[in-house]
Amino acid sequence: MAKMNKKWIVLCSAAIGVIYASEYYASNAQAYLPQPGSRGETGVQASGSLSPNGPASGDGSLIAGNSPSGDSALSDENGGPPRDSAPGLPSASAPAASPTPSSANKRYNDGTYTGTGSNRRGYIQVAVTVKRDKITDVEISDFAMHYSESDVVDLPDEVLQKQSSQVDNVSGATYSTRAFEDAVADALSQAKIG
Amino acid sequence: MMRRTKLYMDTVVDIQVATERSKEEAEAAIERAFSAFRKVEDACSRFHPDSELVRACRRIGVPVPIGPYLFEPLKFALELADWSIGVFDPAVGGTMEKRGFNRRYLTGEIADNPADDSATYQDIELDAYNRTLLLRKPMVIDLGAVAKGFAIDLAARELSRFERFIVNAGGDLFAGGADGRNNAWNIGIRHPERRNETIQTIEISNEAICTSGSYERISAAADGVHHIVDPRTKRSPNAWVSCSVVAPYAMLADAISTAAFLLKEEEAPYLLERAELRGVFIKPDLRIVKVGGM
Repeated sequence: MAKMNKKWIVLCSAAIGVIYASEYYASNAQAYLPQPGSRGETGVQASGSLSPNGPASGDGSLIAGNSPSGDSALSDENGGPPRDSAPGLPSASAPAASPTPSSANKRYNDGTYTGTGSNRRGYIQVAVTVKRDKITDVEISDFAMHYSESDVVDLPDEVLQKQSSQVDNVSGATYSTRAFEDAVADALSQAKIG
Repeated sequence: MMRRTKLYMDTVVDIQVATERSKEEAEAAIERAFSAFRKVEDACSRFHPDSELVRACRRIGVPVPIGPYLFEPLKFALELADWSIGVFDPAVGGTMEKRGFNRRYLTGEIADNPADDSATYQDIELDAYNRTLLLRKPMVIDLGAVAKGFAIDLAARELSRFERFIVNAGGDLFAGGADGRNNAWNIGIRHPERRNETIQTIEISNEAICTSGSYERISAAADGVHHIVDPRTKRSPNAWVSCSVVAPYAMLADAISTAAFLLKEEEAPYLLERAELRGVFIKPDLRIVKVGGM
């Protein structure tokens, strides 16, 4: 194994650059090049990607699974093409679209729903956004600060936003989201059709 | 300090931003940072039956075009597999599935995909010009050790103009900021046995620190098995209980910490030295090994 720090740095920054180049390309293609065949993929996204309360109105059923969201990754300051652009600019969006469920057997209403999960010591609140029968967003909206113990829901302290004054943040082995599943299930039960 | 927390990739993603800029500007950037996680997850998850990765892996022996959110982390994983001569191998996904790491989070669906036991990273071919993926054998590709790091890096870039910010995805994090005088961060490394204590503190600045450890995710299917599996022996290694690596990019720190975790006591520090990075490794008896001038 040769020493290769430079190589790893270049690979990482090139990878990020490719993403920005493709987002830049995608947003420009969206703005300037009408593409009759693929309008649904880039055009319709606009409304209600994160409405804080209540069901989002748009039906949105035309949007393909992986479409780039309207908020381009580029801003004025990060603009410009990357230095290490790979040969063959990547295509604007992911090639294959996942099948969208037909409205006939749709299981959930689109929208954002609040759910709570509890155990003997307290609760956690989440806001779950559902679109086309998929969970597109889960935000932890309340950690229930009244816990007396910190390991209440099997989560480390830093997740519960109680931190020691000695450190700004903590690195450790990745913990899972099991502690949030009840709260998410609660939210989904409200989204359920019928 | 603005703070928001969401779930992605079966973990908790916590973003904090401190800035004199407007709240609206910071909120919009935080939202874009989160959306980087969603895009990487939609592309790279081996648990979602309709992720780009799972769909692409259903076809064997033919080149399949893939988008940049999958191509880039996969390319990085293959480079690292080559460099480490298979110590790190993204083809380990099938073994992970068989060890019970097959459950999609939040919904509980079980992933069950065909995989050839003999498949390695050498059976994965990426065509950089045509942006295609070709698998020579059926396999489950696991990008768990790079995709989260990649998402952290993309998120950090969205936030880079703010004076001080941190992106923490379940214990792997990037801490930085535009304020050159005041962006050093004191990061604790979690104690492997006492969950709410730290065993070591290190200072980083515009850098990532990622920790691979055996103490969080334990297999329900087999004793003594945790979520890091040696691609060569198909067992969980036990030379270390935790390996933390500091690097300029989270994708690099994430991948190298995973590879180091797979290595023996005498090999892991060497790997880090060869990569010219620094880190803190913890042995099962809680002895601390510092590498690269920590």
